[in-house]
Amino acid sequence: MVADGTPRRMHPGTVAITFLRKAPQNVLAIPIFAGWMSGRGFGWALLIAAIAGGFALFFMWLKWRRFTYTVGAEELVIERGLLNLSRRSIPLERIQDVSIERKLLHRLFGLAEVRVETGGGDADEAVLDSVSLAEAQRLRAALRGQRVAASVETGEVAAPAEPHALPVVFAMSPGRVLLLGLFSFSLVWLAALFGAIQFLDQFIDFGWDQIKDYAGAARAEAQARFSVNAVLIVAALALALGVVSGVISTLLRDWGFTLRAGEGRFRRTRGLLTRSEVVVAMRRIQLALVQRGPLRGWLGWQALSVQTLGGSNDPSGRQLLAPLATEAEVSELMRIAGLPPFERLPLRPVGAGHVVRSLIRTVTAPLAAILLATVLLTPLALIGLLVLPPMAAAALLQRRYHRFALSGCGLQVMRGVVAQRDWTVPANNVQVVTLHATWLQRLLGVASVLVDTAGAKGRGAPDVVDVNLPDARALAAGLIARVD
Amino acid sequence: MLLPDVPLQPLERGHLNAMRLSGAVFFAAAAIGSAIPSYALSREWTWLPVWAAPLVLVLIGLWSVLIAAPRRWARWGWAWTGRELHVAQGWLTQSHTIVPALRVQHIDVTQGPVERMFGVATLVLHTAGTTHSTVHLPGISRATAEEIRDAIRAKLSAEPW
Repeated sequence: MVADGTPRRMHPGTVAITFLRKAPQNVLAIPIFAGWMSGRGFGWALLIAAIAGGFALFFMWLKWRRFTYTVGAEELVIERGLLNLSRRSIPLERIQDVSIERKLLHRLFGLAEVRVETGGGDADEAVLDSVSLAEAQRLRAALRGQRVAASVETGEVAAPAEPHALPVVFAMSPGRVLLLGLFSFSLVWLAALFGAIQFLDQFIDFGWDQIKDYAGAARAEAQARFSVNAVLIVAALALALGVVSGVISTLLRDWGFTLRAGEGRFRRTRGLLTRSEVVVAMRRIQLALVQRGPLRGWLGWQALSVQTLGGSNDPSGRQLLAPLATEAEVSELMRIAGLPPFERLPLRPVGAGHVVRSLIRTVTAPLAAILLATVLLTPLALIGLLVLPPMAAAALLQRRYHRFALSGCGLQVMRGVVAQRDWTVPANNVQVVTLHATWLQRLLGVASVLVDTAGAKGRGAPDVVDVNLPDARALAAGLIARVD
Repeated sequence: MLLPDVPLQPLERGHLNAMRLSGAVFFAAAAIGSAIPSYALSREWTWLPVWAAPLVLVLIGLWSVLIAAPRRWARWGWAWTGRELHVAQGWLTQSHTIVPALRVQHIDVTQGPVERMFGVATLVLHTAGTTHSTVHLPGISRATAEEIRDAIRAKLSAEPW
């Protein structure tokens, strides 16, 4: 039994994993820096590395030694700390779920990280990093079993293999993961790669400069001869790298994406090197968000994520249930989650003032920048005016694509021209409603209805912007009237 | 008025005085503090009198205390309907926030030193939401704040989500 009330320590392999994970900064970076500063050579740097490593290892061992967890009959208690003792007790009934994540190092050591998720917003409420895989599964069974009060009675804790017993409701085939990777073309990864090279450049000195020199010489040569070709080649290379990096990052993240459902929860597993498992309790779902990216949306692909209250590994507070799915698959998942289907027909557009406001918002800043550059730098900056018509067109279309409806089951909002988003918010999940109007909005006779929900911060709230004032009043009053 | 259907009550008169006092203290401190850079600048440019920056701040302070504060105060309004709390505010940018009592997680009644001087209190509602998870209603009497707090507390549900 796990729920025996005796304190346990994490797996001793934790020390090794932590050491390896922190080694680059503890053992490598400091000694290399110190050795480089002193100029006394390699042996000296090695000595410092050994001392630093020894210290790090000792403190990690101490930390491991002082960290215990106890599964009692009523609560999970985590005690830790050397000087500042901390004791955190989490009532079992407050535990929403237990998720298991295995990064590459964990898998090498046969360990797993266990996250105990409660309703609180704090992501690090209870993380056991790391315990053996068997212990992780036993813990999950015990902590969840207490709540569901099912398998504990029989004492059958050693067979918690039910995650695979749940039916699969959505899965990504390798081909579809690859397709998602192609859509995920991004130069951000490329920038990160170059950033990493620049960063490593400070530490590693084996000939990167020469390579850069060769490359620079070659480029100068090439530019001198066929500069247009060279530019095209560089652009094509960047494009290819963008595609490749998108594919690789997607493969690493979404390989073997499987979503199972049952017993009031979704269980998602994904990842090639880091296998992560996330549990989403259906009754904690606050809203559903369907996203259609620029290219994939036109081809009929959608992504479904849900926002849940607390206990999220994802800093955004939303969990992806399906990264690339057809409309039918998404509506089936929404049905399983107990959410009303997204209906386009009853949606009504926001006020005409939205056109004016989105035009002002999108065009003003670039126009000012271009005019400033024209006056201060070069008349050539006027070429930049070419980007304005497409931006203005997108702004003018915003109203067509920003619609909302309040039905018996809740609020539905769609927004976005190039990247489209559909929100479905069950009426009971609305926390606070705010009517908001700037002086320009009041001049245009519109107001925004800001809908506050639990679980996720920042952008991506199901706000309805620039609604005609009578509609806005009716929407706010209707939302509040449906709370019970 | 964003929601004319809901009759709003004004804040206590004492809150206007509290706003004026905090504004006066702030601008007086700023005016005194600005004397040093003003002195330094007047040595650089002899045409600039030493009292220029403090004078500007005093004028802004007077405008804020005598004109802006009453307007901002008059724009506040609140209503407790027995089911939800309405809080309206704002002069140029207006907002009207509605908090259903059933969604409130916990409630504070706070009273700072200035508020205590003028006999007003602030009611703070916390919800499980994120961007507007705390809603403040300042400038009501302590008795009213406690009355609303007790009324909401009676309505709190065990599972607000």
